[in-house]
Amino acid sequence: MGNEIWIVADITIDGKVRKATFEALSEARRKLVPKLGGQICGVLLGSGVSGLAQELGKYGTEKVYVVDNETLKDYTPEGYAIALADLIKKHQPPIVITGNTSVGQDFFPRVAALVGAGLAMDAIDLDLTDDKRLKIKRYMYSAKSIATVEFLDHKPMMTTIRPNVFKPEEEPKNPEIVNESVNLKPEDIKIKTVEIKRKESARPELTEADRIVSGGRGMGSGDNFKLIFELADAIGAAAGASRAAVDAGFVPYAMQVGQTGKVVSPTLYIAVGISGSVQHFAGMGSSKVIVAINKDPDAPIFQKCDYGIVGDLFQIVPALTEEFKKLLAQQ
Amino acid sequence: MKIVVIVRQTPDTEAKIKVASTGNSIDTEGIKWIVNPYDEFAIEEAIKIKENLKTGEVILISMGPARCVEALRTGLAMGADRAVHIKDESFAFTDPYASAKVIAAEIKNLGGFDLILTGKKMIDEETGQIGIQIAEELEIPHVAIVTKMQLSPDGKKVTCQREVEGGQVIVEVPLPALITCERGLNEPRYASLPGIMKAKKKEVKEVTPDKINVDALGITKESLGQAGARFKITKLEVPQVQRRLKIIKEAETQEAAHELVKLLREEAKVI
Ligand SMILES: Cc1cc2nc3c(=O)[nH]c(=O)nc-3n(C[C@H](O)[C@H](O)[C@H](O)COP(=O)(O)OP(=O)(O)OC[C@H]3O[C@@H](n4cnc5c(N)ncnc54)[C@H](O)[C@@H]3O)c2cc1C
Ligand SMILES: Nc1ncnc2c1ncn2[C@@H]1O[C@H](COP(=O)(O)O)[C@@H](O)[C@H]1O
Repeated sequence: MGNEIWIVADITIDGKVRKATFEALSEARRKLVPKLGGQICGVLLGSGVSGLAQELGKYGTEKVYVVDNETLKDYTPEGYAIALADLIKKHQPPIVITGNTSVGQDFFPRVAALVGAGLAMDAIDLDLTDDKRLKIKRYMYSAKSIATVEFLDHKPMMTTIRPNVFKPEEEPKNPEIVNESVNLKPEDIKIKTVEIKRKESARPELTEADRIVSGGRGMGSGDNFKLIFELADAIGAAAGASRAAVDAGFVPYAMQVGQTGKVVSPTLYIAVGISGSVQHFAGMGSSKVIVAINKDPDAPIFQKCDYGIVGDLFQIVPALTEEFKKLLAQQ
Repeated sequence: MKIVVIVRQTPDTEAKIKVASTGNSIDTEGIKWIVNPYDEFAIEEAIKIKENLKTGEVILISMGPARCVEALRTGLAMGADRAVHIKDESFAFTDPYASAKVIAAEIKNLGGFDLILTGKKMIDEETGQIGIQIAEELEIPHVAIVTKMQLSPDGKKVTCQREVEGGQVIVEVPLPALITCERGLNEPRYASLPGIMKAKKKEVKEVTPDKINVDALGITKESLGQAGARFKITKLEVPQVQRRLKIIKEAETQEAAHELVKLLREEAKVI
């Protein structure tokens, strides 16, 4: 058994390395390497991906395993799982990590089953016990509790990290490239990708955004969400919504934050016309700073926010957009 | 078409979470239990498919203590045909992988299936893997986090829409397959009164651990329960976030907005 820590790169539908990968590389270097020894290794799975190895090198990756295989051109959980499981069996790294993204969530469970590993998803803290077992923290019960999970002696120990929790930190390295071939046949892949629909919006992705502005039922209509978009664009934020706003048809489901929506952890979360239900907080309760704008002084959100303004959102939001623009223009 | 839906019982979304005296699990005293919300989408979708085809069978499977039968009854009242309850208190703390193996084995005992539906995740332990691992155990493909699905006219494949960062991906998967359901897929129906009455007469088969051939699953008897788990929860805490709770009192809107921006810059340092 080696002592390599593997970070499997998460690649966007546009072929770039996702930020969560850099976060994982950085946190593993800060927290796990000092205790485990060994080195940080990246894993690139796909077709025509070897060029991305240098990107991983920027964040302290010393070695990159590359599986460049035509069968992995479109992401499929089967293809990725077979490829990674093959590599794990061959090299036996003690720890394997990726981002808790739509890709990581999708194929890591299959890999864990294929290699008989333990897998704990969505870590918000990475650590090792004195005897070098992985120890992570993760939310349970919809952000209402945090569990400390210690791996027992099953290897490898696998986890996915929650995007936007750990700080990406550069440390340039010139990684050694190891080209690997895996036992993967086109007939192993039963899923066929028919179409990829890209969102046209230039706003950041909710789960990766550092700032989010969300609107609730108080917005009154889909048209009024233009106020949310203007505020979001002024500060480079993503735009979200409560379930009530989605159910009312104001905005699409992809914007919903909460228990049955996206789980987000931005630095700044501005909730506009949102009352602050338990289920909404299940999705954004770990935001660093929460701002509430609501006309009802008794709205529950005022009991669990950092800053609040009581008043009519139709007055306050445009004023706020203007103030932000003024401030940022000074810079 | 034989459709299997895996149903988990979870605490109500409003439930207040208290840590039990053991320090690593929740105190279940006074908790109201519901069907895992994502699993409701799975049940609804299965019933809809059966209604559209005007033929087929919807079978529910749940694993957990005695109380889980209520979740199964709810699903039967919505319109599922029958249910299997893998029942034992000792399954608590079974790790996700062993749970997936046991559930997969019961699915095999059903003698064939076309489609398996599960929730995207369970909202209590949020292990986020059991559904997909069941697919791996059964050696069938899966599509996760699905917000739209369409069965082909010949009933041989399903076209699914999956939500991903930056857009949506449409994929086609041949049956048998497992699909994990995301909100947006449908609006789960409420059980009707006649539905509830009918559900009382529907079969709920109980499977107890002595009936599970663990050797055949390649797991040990001990791996059911904490003793054989791949990890353990050593501590459970209720997060204590201290919020500033500053409500800006400025009467004039522009002044209030100005004050807020100033606080975000100078005090919170987030702008
Ligand atoms: C199983 C389950 C899952 C759920 N999942 C989610 C989820 O993922 N996400 C989610 O958000 N919810 C979820 N919910 C729903 C949740 O319980 C609440 O119903 C929902 O969050 C309420 O949304 P809201 O705050 O926008 O609406 P409301 O509670 O109606 O609040 C609207 C607020 O807007 C304010 N307002 C109105 N007009 C103005 C104005 N002109 N200016 C300023 N303020 C104004 C009002 O004072 C009020 O406080 C779930 C519920 C269940 C049962
Ligand atoms: N004990 C269980 N009994 C029945 N179904 C379960 C059980 N555990 C998990 N599931 C199913 O697996 C899905 C996903 O769980 P997970 O992804 O592990 O959070 C749930 O939505 C359920 O459909």
